[in-house]
Amino acid sequence: MGPFFFAYLCSMPINEVRNTVLAIANKNNYGYISPQDFNLYAQQAQMDMYEDYFYQYNNWINRENARSSGTGYADIVKGLEEVIDTFSVQAFLAQLNPSSVPNVPSGLSGSAVYQLPSDYYLINKLYRYPTRRVSGTTSSSVGGSALLIDNTQDFFTTGVQPGDLVINTSATGAAPYPATGAPGLQGWVQNISNASTPAGSTITCSAALFVDPAGGGPGGETYAIYDANNIVEVERVSQSKIFNLTSSNLTRPTPQYPCYVLDGNLISVYPTTWDGLNDPYTLGDRMGPCDVKAQYIRYPNAPRWTWVGLVGGEPVFNASAVDYQDFELPLSDEPALIAKICQYVGIEIREAEVVQFGQGEEALDTQETS
Amino acid sequence: MSYITDYQYYENNQTSPTDENWGSYQYISLDDIVNNFLLMYQGNNELINNINRYQVLFFAKRAIQELNYDAMKEVKILQLQVNDQLRFVLPPDYVNWVRISLYQNGVLRPLTENIQTNWSGAYLQDNQYRILFDAYGDVLKPESSQLDIDRILGQNRSIYLNAGSPYDGAMGYLYEGAWFFDFQVGGRFGLNTETANSNPTFNINKSAGVINFSSGMASSSVVLEYVSDGMEKGNDSKVSVNKLFEDYIYAAIKYSILNNRLSAQEYIINRARKDKSSLLRTQS
Repeated sequence: MGPFFFAYLCSMPINEVRNTVLAIANKNNYGYISPQDFNLYAQQAQMDMYEDYFYQYNNWINRENARSSGTGYADIVKGLEEVIDTFSVQAFLAQLNPSSVPNVPSGLSGSAVYQLPSDYYLINKLYRYPTRRVSGTTSSSVGGSALLIDNTQDFFTTGVQPGDLVINTSATGAAPYPATGAPGLQGWVQNISNASTPAGSTITCSAALFVDPAGGGPGGETYAIYDANNIVEVERVSQSKIFNLTSSNLTRPTPQYPCYVLDGNLISVYPTTWDGLNDPYTLGDRMGPCDVKAQYIRYPNAPRWTWVGLVGGEPVFNASAVDYQDFELPLSDEPALIAKICQYVGIEIREAEVVQFGQGEEALDTQETS
Repeated sequence: MSYITDYQYYENNQTSPTDENWGSYQYISLDDIVNNFLLMYQGNNELINNINRYQVLFFAKRAIQELNYDAMKEVKILQLQVNDQLRFVLPPDYVNWVRISLYQNGVLRPLTENIQTNWSGAYLQDNQYRILFDAYGDVLKPESSQLDIDRILGQNRSIYLNAGSPYDGAMGYLYEGAWFFDFQVGGRFGLNTETANSNPTFNINKSAGVINFSSGMASSSVVLEYVSDGMEKGNDSKVSVNKLFEDYIYAAIKYSILNNRLSAQEYIINRARKDKSSLLRTQS
């Protein structure tokens, strides 16, 4: 891993890395690496370094506690956190259709089962907004606007506040009118319009969440508005503890202290009903499609050096290809990444010097940053 | 921005119940305690790390319970009428009683506990005094024991104290508010101080969850002052503790966690224990 200078965490241009690797390896024109092979090695090297960040992070926390890491510019942990946080994603989890999975491994077969995203490396936290202020169906829409219009509501009396979370909970195809918002499309309340008719029936959102592409229409998309000041974390509980927890009077999961267990890439959330806290929820309220959100660290995208045509027998770099992808690690990692790729390349071309060069560079780098 | 606006405090934003927030500033909620602990006392650079929230929640609740038992003077008061069986059903969050009073003619008359039991379970027996069982091998029980029946019917004797009466100090029966006496033959030995009182007495059947009163209490109004465990019958959102105890609660959670940690050094545990006990003394 490179020195810890993470200014703005510029991602690493893949063409630059490839040129450097070829310059090192391509001795006497027999060290040529095909784009396909380069992409494989690049992905391997990036993953290796990516994983190393988490071990480094732990290592530096231990060293910080031993007072061998400082603050300010000497705060190594902060720099590592910044890199890891560039892979942080927040997204609603897809609720599993109970009828399609009648018996999930945890034994829950209700609506409290959600699917984790396919690109997660580690789930940092799950959370939800336990206080739903109001939910309903839009009665009309205005093309290109950020309005939420529901003529059956007076949002002034529902306690909706500026900053509250607005979610388009429509599932595409489920709404009577073709819904444009994918489930989970979200923004926040900017204000409740005084001028609307009937009074308080229109909210201005932060973005166009309920937009009819045809330019105005009958609405029909479902929405929910949540109190943005009350966010609770859904805590991970191990399979060996979950039934002790649910059986305990003092610690059983409640809407304010929910928890989940993991089965494969499914999570089962407890409690399965959310009564009590959520006025205007009714007793025995069930989980909804946009009830659980995850903050997770995703895998880095696989780097892709793309090309178009051959000039002089050489593939010409093409940064406009659909599958083009730079490295996602910060620029400061370039020397270490090149050293790592060189080790793979050296093996391919059976060139021990290239392997040794890569290993030497890596060892030096480790020595410098330890 | 203040925690709560004056309008919210006095009127609860016109949401029912409007008195919800009165006096609330004295207390810190369980949510705040758990949140603050995780924020301030747990982390990579703190004494405690890698702890589950439910562990903090558990120890926080245990600390609040212990406070309620030992130190806090948070007394709850409930007034109910005694039923025909001379019973007062204990409230759901009852842990121990402080005082039980008869409310009569606008006056609270504290009652004394009769340590001589005035209630009992019973088994059915045949004329050979053998216990009777049902087909499943379980013992058959009557609805009330003879002791209960006598108490309910006012057939238990107790001493009558009234200096102006010729029956002062005599053993008699209090039935429906009136005293009846046997002929006084022979001597009386000792004085039962629990019942040597013109007021009715009571005895608590903890497992049955009732207070059994002496006769004459049917339909009387009784005021029970009791302590709870502060768990608000399991409604976490209502659990709170006076701010004067806030530091003690954190110290108690910290000690409980460290005390259960495999790798915590003894001096750290001792420091946490001293923190906890000194804060309990200074804050209670």
